[in-house]
Amino acid sequence: MSRRARRAVVNGTGVVVALLFAFPVYWMVITAFKGADQIQTYVPVFIPTPTLDNFTKAISQPHFTDFLRNSVVVTMATVGLAIVVGFLAAATVARTKFRGKGSFLLLVAVAQMAPFEALLIPFFLFMRDTPVYGQLPSLILIYFIFTLPFTIWSLRGFISGIPVDLEEAAMVDGCSRLGAFMRVTVPLLGPGLVATSIFCFITAWNEYFYAFVFMTDAQNYTLPVWLGSFRTNFGTDWGATMAASTLFTLPVLVFFLLIQKRMVSGLTAGAVKG
Amino acid sequence: MAIDRRNASLHSVAPRRHRSIKRAAGKLLPYLAIMPAVVTFVVLLGIPVVLVIETSLQHFGLRELINGGQTWVGLANFQTIIGDPEFITVVIRTFVFMAANVATTIVLGTLVAILLERLNSKVRLLLSVAMVLAWATPALTGSVIFQWLFDSKLGIVNWALSSMGVFGDWLNHSWFDTGLSTFAIITLLIVWQSIPFVAFSLYAGILAIPKEQIEAARVDGASERQVFRHITLPAIRPLLMILTFLSIIWDFKVFTQIYTMLQGGPDGQTVTLSIYAYIKGLSESRYGIAAAVSVVMVMLLMVVLIPYIRSMTKGQVEQ
Repeated sequence: MSRRARRAVVNGTGVVVALLFAFPVYWMVITAFKGADQIQTYVPVFIPTPTLDNFTKAISQPHFTDFLRNSVVVTMATVGLAIVVGFLAAATVARTKFRGKGSFLLLVAVAQMAPFEALLIPFFLFMRDTPVYGQLPSLILIYFIFTLPFTIWSLRGFISGIPVDLEEAAMVDGCSRLGAFMRVTVPLLGPGLVATSIFCFITAWNEYFYAFVFMTDAQNYTLPVWLGSFRTNFGTDWGATMAASTLFTLPVLVFFLLIQKRMVSGLTAGAVKG
Repeated sequence: MAIDRRNASLHSVAPRRHRSIKRAAGKLLPYLAIMPAVVTFVVLLGIPVVLVIETSLQHFGLRELINGGQTWVGLANFQTIIGDPEFITVVIRTFVFMAANVATTIVLGTLVAILLERLNSKVRLLLSVAMVLAWATPALTGSVIFQWLFDSKLGIVNWALSSMGVFGDWLNHSWFDTGLSTFAIITLLIVWQSIPFVAFSLYAGILAIPKEQIEAARVDGASERQVFRHITLPAIRPLLMILTFLSIIWDFKVFTQIYTMLQGGPDGQTVTLSIYAYIKGLSESRYGIAAAVSVVMVMLLMVVLIPYIRSMTKGQVEQ
């Protein structure tokens, strides 16, 4: 095979693989814009005449706005808690020496690997004894502990990446230790804080298992619980289901595109060095 | 005299004491700053871990949940589950399912990473964007989409298979009738969502290999396969190890994709450990048994986790 032909085969394979990866998402979006007549056919319609009927139906489901509000509240509270608590710990670990630092990092690593799927029963028994059982704060606390270890790990990496020399220069110019950190390092941390917040956002926004078990009251459902029970809500109305799925996925997709590069290095960075 | 001396000593002590207070505060500050995180770990992780062990040693059912008064039964719960043939089946099933997912993800992920490296920049961008779409899709949405793709009457997969004309007629074929077929679709879904992370990571690893090394080998007459075996593979081996560990952890405890697909059906044939613990605990209200299942689950995972955590913290603490 000539070199040119081989290149063509390789690039052709690339296009086919790309189509395979993109197709399910394409099919979700395209189905969402189809009218019922274009869905209820055996021979599929690939490029439909778009209609917004499915979206109207999905968002006019009873309590949709409640679920949306619940999801936003839970997600935002999780991000806020994880970033504040995580930042304090990450800055300390990255910039100071103290006894027990090694044990603390080990604790963070263990917490990051904790199989939360196996801790459902104790979390359930634990939350049942608190006044927040079945209410949004119980989910916020759970997502907080889900995201905190990664938040510390990730922010610590970003802070360590900013040379400490910059702070020392500021201290020579008369800044205090803390002042130098606040005035020099913190302003440079914007991208790191954004990337870490988005990770927390995605985790809390997507979570289904705990939301499904803990939110016993329909009015406290988050969007994943609502979507998960779509079959009974919509029967086999695939159009409305795909419209709801599209709406649910959209914010995740947008945020994900923003931090995709950092996700790759972030998740394995600590590990590759070891 | 005495006053003078006192004054003198006061003068010399005051700045020193001030300094030592400041130094003590400086020493305390790190602990104050990590305190919220430590408290969170102790309360939200420590308590549940203690609680799951405690519950696994108790007779704890619905009555105990309402009235309290659970009794200690030692290892009876563990004996019950180990004596349950269904539990053994579930454990084996979980491992086979995990192994199938991990192997498929790692092998295909490696192939896609190699492919990425050889594509021209336009096709590479196209493939990267397509993979980000799959990666970003929430597990729940993925499950819903795949049910639609494989729907027996209106699903596009049955139409595509039938219209190819090679595989016969797939009209009205139901993919969710047998456990194996349902698992195949769940695996397809998980692999579809897991490959991007593996492929992107390995692609970054391949890019980090010095170009001169590969060129020198080619000049010396090494074939593509030899280059892969003797240069690429050794270079990405640590990364492959990490990715395999991570995949094992993720695929061992899958819940959302399995549960939302068919709730462990048909007829309990896709029940894995996490689904089993959920059914025993939340559906049957046998909390003691469910806790014992969870403990076994964590212990099985530990076997894999301990070397991973060790290698992960080794490089970090020294810095």
